[in-house]
Amino acid sequence: MPEPVITVRNLKKHFSVYKKEPGLLGSVRSLLRREYETVAAVDDISFSIKQGEVVGFIGQNGAGKTTTLKMLAGLLYPTSGEVSVLGFNPWNRENAFQKQFSLVLGQKNQLWWDLPAMETFLLNQAIYDIPNPRFRKTLNKLVDLLDVKDSIQIQVRKLSLGQRMKCELIAALLHNPKVLFLDEPTIGLDVIMQKTLRDFISEYNKEYNATIILTSHYMDDVKELCERVIMIDHGKKIYDGLLSSIINKYARNKILSVVFAAPVSKNDLKKFGTIKHLTGSSATLLVSRKDATKIAARLLESLPVQDLNIEEAPLEAIIREVFGNRAKIA
Amino acid sequence: MSLTVWSVLFTSQTNVFGYNRAEMISYIFMAAILHGLVLASALYGLAERIYSGDISSLLLKPVSLFSYLAIEEVADKGRNILATLIESGILIALFQPEIVLPSAYTTVVFLLWAAGGVILNFLFSLLFGTLGFWSPDTWGPKFLFFIFLDFSAGKLFPLNILPDWLQSALFLTPFPYLTFMQTQVFLGKVAIDKILIHSSALLLWIVLFYLLNKFLWHWGFKNYAAQGQ
Repeated sequence: MPEPVITVRNLKKHFSVYKKEPGLLGSVRSLLRREYETVAAVDDISFSIKQGEVVGFIGQNGAGKTTTLKMLAGLLYPTSGEVSVLGFNPWNRENAFQKQFSLVLGQKNQLWWDLPAMETFLLNQAIYDIPNPRFRKTLNKLVDLLDVKDSIQIQVRKLSLGQRMKCELIAALLHNPKVLFLDEPTIGLDVIMQKTLRDFISEYNKEYNATIILTSHYMDDVKELCERVIMIDHGKKIYDGLLSSIINKYARNKILSVVFAAPVSKNDLKKFGTIKHLTGSSATLLVSRKDATKIAARLLESLPVQDLNIEEAPLEAIIREVFGNRAKIA
Repeated sequence: MSLTVWSVLFTSQTNVFGYNRAEMISYIFMAAILHGLVLASALYGLAERIYSGDISSLLLKPVSLFSYLAIEEVADKGRNILATLIESGILIALFQPEIVLPSAYTTVVFLLWAAGGVILNFLFSLLFGTLGFWSPDTWGPKFLFFIFLDFSAGKLFPLNILPDWLQSALFLTPFPYLTFMQTQVFLGKVAIDKILIHSSALLLWIVLFYLLNKFLWHWGFKNYAAQGQ
């Protein structure tokens, strides 16, 4: 069995934040006496990840996903616990470690704003000590894959968000990192661009057998890229396992999309399940997951069905269900 | 402006506060050049960069943050020196003032002390940068520091014109070693036997501020919140 590339044991990160009352009086008072509160951003998390795995970090805003990634990257000092990435303690920020990973923060950029992205690429070549032939080869490949040949000579501030994000990814991957931390890499992008980046990340994982941790609020990212997910809520790990298992376990319903040969009434349909949508001859029904096949068969017998599809409930709804049942899981 | 003020003072006398006209003009030019070389810094916004989390992308790369900042500083100084030299060259060509030129020995000491001043100011800038680990409000302390610096480093006037007790007090601080002492050695106003003492003092301040930086940056990194998400 391969050794884990990332090992996290009892990791904690607590922030001390002070509470200030509103207004001028509150400001004056806070100068004299401050009330501090300890916030557990990450609270006793443990997991390990093997080489080549793509793991999705799922959680609501403020759950502790980005804080965990920042600790794995060596940006934040943990309150307690142990972290090992590629055999290094990230906090030591050793060059040998930093040459082997990348952290991409969707809402932050490393590209020089007023210069073309190519300047940042050249700077990274120098910083990461990439030999020229390897640099050219990787750059050409990444530029082709992401289709940004015309953008890399243009000032970054004049690029669209999508083009910028692609250039960010290139800057992060020029040194062929073995470990990739992606924090909301598709945030703010349109659906086509999201798909392009997802395909690219998947391609990168396969080609370099790279280990990837991905956080995203777009469940399509997680569904397409991650076999395994780690769910975090209020700094605590509430699930770690296959995405398919969580779907099987927590998706209570399936969706039946039906097209009828002739219009059907609401009364005819409601005995089969919860009607989510009905317009003339098409309908969407929410049915119990375990009875979905039987209900579909009954529908086919009873009504003039022209076309019928059984689909999984959207991942977003399942995740909501999981977070709703947090106490049961924990 | 300084040139005009001192020119007026020298119309009625040949020696003001121990400086003749040529020395004072040389002082003004040298103070301006040293201001560009030593006191101007690209790192005055460092605290904001830390507080906002902008330094995160640097911390993730296999490069020392301090080397990176030092290179930024050197690049900025190169630009400042070029601008100052062009400006001073034009003024010298226009007014053709008498400039005191140092001996080879004092030139070497001057260059070493100027390099020391650059390092000392770099360490000051790094020190102010650490404020960003704890607070977004760095304008107040920086403003007070620069006001004090203008007077105590000899940028506005030579420190020799101050009362003896005040001069002695200022020499208990590192500020005279930022630009004032460099102008004095350039003008040949530092006795040879004092050069070693002042060189040691400059070195001591550098070591002291290096250690202070080391402590504060280590402490700061433990508090670093890498904000911006």
